[in-house]
Amino acid sequence: MNRLTDTLDNLKKENKKALVAYLVAGDPNLETTIELMHLLVKSGVDVIEIGVPFTDPIAEGPIIQKAHDRALKNNVSLSSIFEMIDQFRKNDNKTPLVLMGYLNTFIFNKNLIEANKNDFVDSILVVDIPGELKLKDYGVYNPNINTISLISPTTKKNRIESIAKNSTGFVYYVTLRGVTGASNLDVDEIRNNVQEIKKHASVPTLAGFGIKSAEDAKLLSKCSDGVIIGSSIVQMIEESSKSKEFDRIEEYISDIKRAIS
Amino acid sequence: MKSDNHNLPDKNGFFGEYGGKFVPETLMYALEELETTYKNLKDNIEFKDQFYKDLSEFVGRPSPLYFAKRLTKHYGSGSIWLKREDLNHTGAHKINNTIGQILLAKYMGKKRIIAETGAGQHGVATATVAARLGLECHIYMGSEDVQRQSLNVYRIKLLGAQVHAVDSGSATLKDALNEALRDWVTNVDDTYYIIGSVTGPHPYPMIVRDFNSVVGEELITQSKELFNAMPDAIVACVGGGSNAMGAFYPFIKFNETRLIGVEAGGEGIETGEHAAPLNDGAPGVLHGSLSYLMQDNSGQVKGTKSVSAGLDYPGVGPEHSWLKDSGRAEYVAVSDDAALKAFHEVSEMEGIIPALETAHAFAYLDTLMKEFDINSNIIVNVSGRGDKDINTVADIDGIKI
Repeated sequence: MNRLTDTLDNLKKENKKALVAYLVAGDPNLETTIELMHLLVKSGVDVIEIGVPFTDPIAEGPIIQKAHDRALKNNVSLSSIFEMIDQFRKNDNKTPLVLMGYLNTFIFNKNLIEANKNDFVDSILVVDIPGELKLKDYGVYNPNINTISLISPTTKKNRIESIAKNSTGFVYYVTLRGVTGASNLDVDEIRNNVQEIKKHASVPTLAGFGIKSAEDAKLLSKCSDGVIIGSSIVQMIEESSKSKEFDRIEEYISDIKRAIS
Repeated sequence: MKSDNHNLPDKNGFFGEYGGKFVPETLMYALEELETTYKNLKDNIEFKDQFYKDLSEFVGRPSPLYFAKRLTKHYGSGSIWLKREDLNHTGAHKINNTIGQILLAKYMGKKRIIAETGAGQHGVATATVAARLGLECHIYMGSEDVQRQSLNVYRIKLLGAQVHAVDSGSATLKDALNEALRDWVTNVDDTYYIIGSVTGPHPYPMIVRDFNSVVGEELITQSKELFNAMPDAIVACVGGGSNAMGAFYPFIKFNETRLIGVEAGGEGIETGEHAAPLNDGAPGVLHGSLSYLMQDNSGQVKGTKSVSAGLDYPGVGPEHSWLKDSGRAEYVAVSDDAALKAFHEVSEMEGIIPALETAHAFAYLDTLMKEFDINSNIIVNVSGRGDKDINTVADIDGIKI
């Protein structure tokens, strides 16, 4: 069993769309990240993507870059993230957890992935590896962890098939040309491309990058199996981390949840 | 543009285990497009004619191979020859690559040019060729480098390009590369990214090497003319490694020539404060390729330290990693202090003020010349001139200009 596969299957059976939320582990610190993860689940999030901080996050816009920097200042590493997940799982053994990051961190820490204590992590998403390549070939492997590949508006048709087939968690459709948090969504293009992906993929196709408002989420949920929200949440975490008043995030997620239901 | 020496990279862009294309998905098609264009053009006679014509008429190639009489006498062993890339238009080897890549951009119909720069030489060389074709040009530069290479920043602006200072991370070359990649991801349809070294995802390490190989090709001819033998050694500094790769590549098949790359030893390899991944790093992935990389004990990229902005980079071109592991090339490091000493000595002894990057190659002669006898011929690739470094060196020497 895999929590991600089960959750997405169940949503599909109930004809519901998935809501995936991203945050960076250790921003502002690991204890708060645990708190925020529980809050996200309470607000209606189905899957949590845990950003693994890296010194050179080339696919991220300024909001998430800064979050990576803040986490790195706290000396957050993949091994301390696994410890954080241990804590989180004490109170939630149901929500699927995806580790999202950059290849170097995963290659360097492949023993942690291989161990995956108690099978607490469900999936890995590496941003800077071509979608048709297998992480296994770089030593990053655990039979109980599935992988998520990205397809973008610029992916050629001949590659869509092999990437879709290589993706065992879900297919992550990058909705725009740009870094995370940008804002140039082209809904018609997204609809066409997701349709093309769905012809080849045996797993659901979710849309992410550049989704900010409940309205964006609603539009995109209509042409995909779910949406991924990242930069907006990370920005709210940054703005609220001093006061620790995270009600806004709860409200924001609930709005989006309603919009895609 | 010879590529008959060895058959690397393979079709997936690997030099042995190094190289590859580790980029966000959005860039994959752009890399494929570039690879296809380059494959179609590299042996095209019209394209080659244009490239060599530009190198001759605009850059001033071939650059001389010059006998360094006083340096030779100073060491009292082999003859020291200087490959004068510092005499190129814009003052460094960087222009060889930008002349070639701007032609690719033109053939591909791209309207917008972007580049990263460390010491500013690649920024200047890119702004220069963009100006020549009237193309919009954006140069990303770490804000620390903007400070220490202010002269080049102004040159880039004079050439009509926009300089974007990058504050993120360590605010040096690696962060400029991050930001250029982000620009490219965003504007991929109409933008050509001219990478300035033999780094980055495939096909860049191959393309940049090929365009810079004009240096090594000339050296083969010039060595025959001037001393009627193959050189015993070629010494070049290595940051990303483009000047070294250009000089080394045509010589890979000539085993009698030792190929020696000199990395930035910063405060000394033993201190950990340096920019020498081939001497003190481990394989890792940065900026699209797998190569030797300076990283900490959790897989994060380590900060670097070097007096030379152009060598201040935690990674290195994947073909150098392959040359190191295969034993065909040797990689050493010299400290900031040794490089600064060489900077002054070469200036005073030869009337040539070398770039601080190049000064690292010169500094290694102190060790290397002991290994050669009087009949040998050693070539130093003078990758660039030192005008850009005057402020840095004056600062270190406590002199106000």
